[in-house]
Amino acid sequence: MNTPLILAKSSLLSFCIFWGIIFIVDFEPGMFGFIVLSIIPISIVCSAFILFTIFPFFWRKSNEVSKANIFRTYFPFYAIIVFGFSLFGTIIAKFYIFPISFFASAFFTTMQAWVWFSRDYKNKTPQ
Amino acid sequence: MKQIPLIIGAILFSTLFCHQSIGLNLVLFSLLTICILAINHLKTFKNTTTLILSSVYILTAISVFFYGSQLAITANCIAFITFVGHFSESKSSIYVNWLNGLYTTVARFFEHQLNSNSKKSGDKFKRDIDYLQWTKVIGIPILTVIIFISLYKNGNPVFSDFISKIDFSFINFQWFLFAVLGYYLLFNISKPTAVDPATVADLNTGNNLAKNDDYSEEKLKKENQLGLVLLALLNILIVFFLITDVSYLLTIEQLNAPQLSNQVHSGINALIASIVIAIAIILYFFRGNLNYFEANKPLKTLSYIWIALNILLVLSIALKNYQYIFAFGFTYKRIGVVIYLLLTLIGLLSTTIKVNRIKNIWYLMRVNTQAAFFILIVASAINWDSHITQYNLYYAQTTDFNYLINLSENNAFILKDYSDLMVLKGEKQSKINTKYRRYVRSLKANSWQETRFDNFKIH
Repeated sequence: MNTPLILAKSSLLSFCIFWGIIFIVDFEPGMFGFIVLSIIPISIVCSAFILFTIFPFFWRKSNEVSKANIFRTYFPFYAIIVFGFSLFGTIIAKFYIFPISFFASAFFTTMQAWVWFSRDYKNKTPQ
Repeated sequence: MKQIPLIIGAILFSTLFCHQSIGLNLVLFSLLTICILAINHLKTFKNTTTLILSSVYILTAISVFFYGSQLAITANCIAFITFVGHFSESKSSIYVNWLNGLYTTVARFFEHQLNSNSKKSGDKFKRDIDYLQWTKVIGIPILTVIIFISLYKNGNPVFSDFISKIDFSFINFQWFLFAVLGYYLLFNISKPTAVDPATVADLNTGNNLAKNDDYSEEKLKKENQLGLVLLALLNILIVFFLITDVSYLLTIEQLNAPQLSNQVHSGINALIASIVIAIAIILYFFRGNLNYFEANKPLKTLSYIWIALNILLVLSIALKNYQYIFAFGFTYKRIGVVIYLLLTLIGLLSTTIKVNRIKNIWYLMRVNTQAAFFILIVASAINWDSHITQYNLYYAQTTDFNYLINLSENNAFILKDYSDLMVLKGEKQSKINTKYRRYVRSLKANSWQETRFDNFKIH
């Protein structure tokens, strides 16, 4: 399983979504410095979150059931829970742009990370 | 070709919701949702349940158009999820519909992504690399150029001035973002999917309780004995409680507001504990083979008495709540008590059926969630603010005027009429006029997407 690559792709996706939304809604030229520097915290938070909440599903049970089955069984509940937390966080933060951007990037990145983890296995499965 | 309705829908979605508050747009979006689902699942619309659910969904959207209350908006969201979930698996229970509907709405896109990838082999994999390549070709140069622009801006004032003159305001990026969001949403609901483990388990579970293989006469006898003693004691206790409750009500001539409030709310707390324990005890004893035990009739009779006494407790609280409302008018909390009592009554009646006809716990879940959904839809179709205001102003013995002022703007016209009719003066008139003017101003500022029924009243 190519976990470092998935973490790198996830961090990049998260970075793009986070700044993409801010760029569209409320962008100021003075932000450029922050954009470059933000790669570090975004990567750390994103990787940690994926490692702690998604990776264990594929790491522990990969010998017993196929990753597609893991996806089918656990992904719906994971998606609903993450969506619930994201929506709750957005409401609590009174719909300010930074929290919206943060939770949107967290939600879409984790969802895509599930697909990458599941797909990673499939490509190695003998047909 | 299937993408065309989704793209049109996404454009409509953005037009309806970008920078708009809720109003007519929700009705139009509900119709759009039904159209998108009808395009992909026309046959399902021949099903009666589908037609009922689509009517319910439209009804909640119309309620939003008429009243714009939070309750109506919540009911519309839940009706939307139920409706979408029904297309995932039309035979599943309503709570599984909610699960399927929510999953489809928020994350079906990713499941589709995985499935479409697994259907195709190596060729598809190459296409994924192409996507990655495209992302690199577009994303990396743009990002690099932006970084360098920011660096050069600091180094050269002429260049900085030139860059700041570039105006992209003619492109509405937010509108585009909403369109993308609309596409994502409509793509997800266009072909609803099911949460496999939950849906399969639900479809395989009936309403009836089957006889367990582990049937032991001796064990059941002991359990029956325990149940009899416990329920007999609980029945005696609740009878004693009801007698003291009724005597208290009869001896006191007139209760004041805090006394009534205390009576209703402490009664509700007792009721919550009592009903939950009642149902839990009954479910425990009738969870298995005791249902098929020949000598279980006394236990069943005691259970029915216990349920009946709990219903009396419900009626006692309802009476106190009625007195409270009669004297001090309606509030949302008092209406909430009525709704809670109604749900409790349904819960107790369904428990009676469960014991009588040997049903399982899933039967209770199905019946009670359906009842809760039905009550939510009916409650959302009522203009509570208007009814509360009408009753409190014209029928209640005393009126909390500030409470009415603090309600939503749905009662602004009623308050204004009342003020004109009673020729109010001073602080009350001032508060009503402020509320009325603010509401009329907000209605006049509404765009066509935000149009509400009250907009037609001010012309």
